Amino acid sequence: MAVNPESMAPDQGQAEPAIFWYGCNMTRHGEVIRATTRLLEAVGMAAEPTGGPASCCGSPKDASARINEGMARRTIEAFNATGRGKVVTWCPSCHMNMQDSMAPVTTPAFETVHVTEVLHARRDRLRPLLTRPVPARVLLHGHLGFNGRVPVNGLVADLLRLIPGLTLLDEPYRAPGHMCSSLAGVPGALADAQRATLASMAAVGADTLCTIFHSCHREMVGLEQNHPVTVVNWIHLLAASAGIAAEDGYKAMRNAADPRAALGEAAVAAAGELPFARLIEPELRKAPIV
Amino acid sequence: MSGLAGHIRTESARLAALCTACGGCVTACPMTPYAAGVDAAEPGTVAAGMRDVLRDGPGSPAALAWIAACTRSGICTPACPEGLDAAFMLRLAQWRAKGALGTAPLIPVKEDTQYSPKVKAFARLTLTEEEQARWL
Repeated sequence: MAVNPESMAPDQGQAEPAIFWYGCNMTRHGEVIRATTRLLEAVGMAAEPTGGPASCCGSPKDASARINEGMARRTIEAFNATGRGKVVTWCPSCHMNMQDSMAPVTTPAFETVHVTEVLHARRDRLRPLLTRPVPARVLLHGHLGFNGRVPVNGLVADLLRLIPGLTLLDEPYRAPGHMCSSLAGVPGALADAQRATLASMAAVGADTLCTIFHSCHREMVGLEQNHPVTVVNWIHLLAASAGIAAEDGYKAMRNAADPRAALGEAAVAAAGELPFARLIEPELRKAPIV
Repeated sequence: MSGLAGHIRTESARLAALCTACGGCVTACPMTPYAAGVDAAEPGTVAAGMRDVLRDGPGSPAALAWIAACTRSGICTPACPEGLDAAFMLRLAQWRAKGALGTAPLIPVKEDTQYSPKVKAFARLTLTEEEQARWL
């Protein structure tokens, strides 16, 4: 469904109802979901966060069109049933799959827009909220992919320039793929991208790497273990400037010497001892690849 | 055939009929160093192998390696002199090569059977019970 720029213009009246479709793997980053919802609210959009396996785009089952389609249809029908006319995406895979495989098969009753488009189009409302300086020399971690559909690299850069005290540094390197999880599946590709990113940071004197997408953030925060860099997401930076609490919970557990001890037994029990040991702990204890 | 399978078949046939296999998409691709045999092959033959997969064919080893290495960088699309959505062609080829239409996979399929349980386990760590009830 084509984006109508008019529909993203600031609404001076009641908050516009929408769905914030945050995707699946964003559950690692609860504070990003919360802060993004707050920022959308601040620009006049009442976006209900929705995600996880029950709202899947189908791509985890790419090897079966039948299963993929079933998962995608369930998601679109659930979105249609809410009566909300706009779905705000976070994940570039979800966004592209909505356009490429979901909407052509199951008719959506909503418009799909990316969160960067909404916040950028309504940045006049965002600007007065960004009062706290965030002193950092920032390199934006951009990819080649998805940017042709939604120009995220430029949109996020524009939003970061609204933050007082922040210096956004210009460097031409763009990693292949649409986000780092795609590179992780190709031997050698993610390590090469991380080395090139560190080289870019050194070339321009950046101290902070700003990720756009969740999977990039997940793969990049480990760089802090071996390199003198800080890794943040663009939402963390906007939230810091707006005074919205958004401590990076994933980075804290990923870079802890002992993730289990850092989280504490109550948190481990909440996740479930077995799921924590089998599904979470191996990821958190994985050595950085660069 | 309707649904996603029908969509994949229809779009594959449409784009394969328009593709000239000039190899412009292969030349533009930043992932060819990670695809065995592609840099040594003539770009047009790799593109022809990809087009063959869109037509229910077996492709070629280099074409399958290229399809498997696609990470959706998307710069093949502006590189196409015919104005085709080459990135979507690769997406279609990847679906087919993974066996999405019910045929035997032509490339390795990496499916994480613990994907959903992992997403939910992290949610229990980072979201409150109320948030889990409302947002998942």
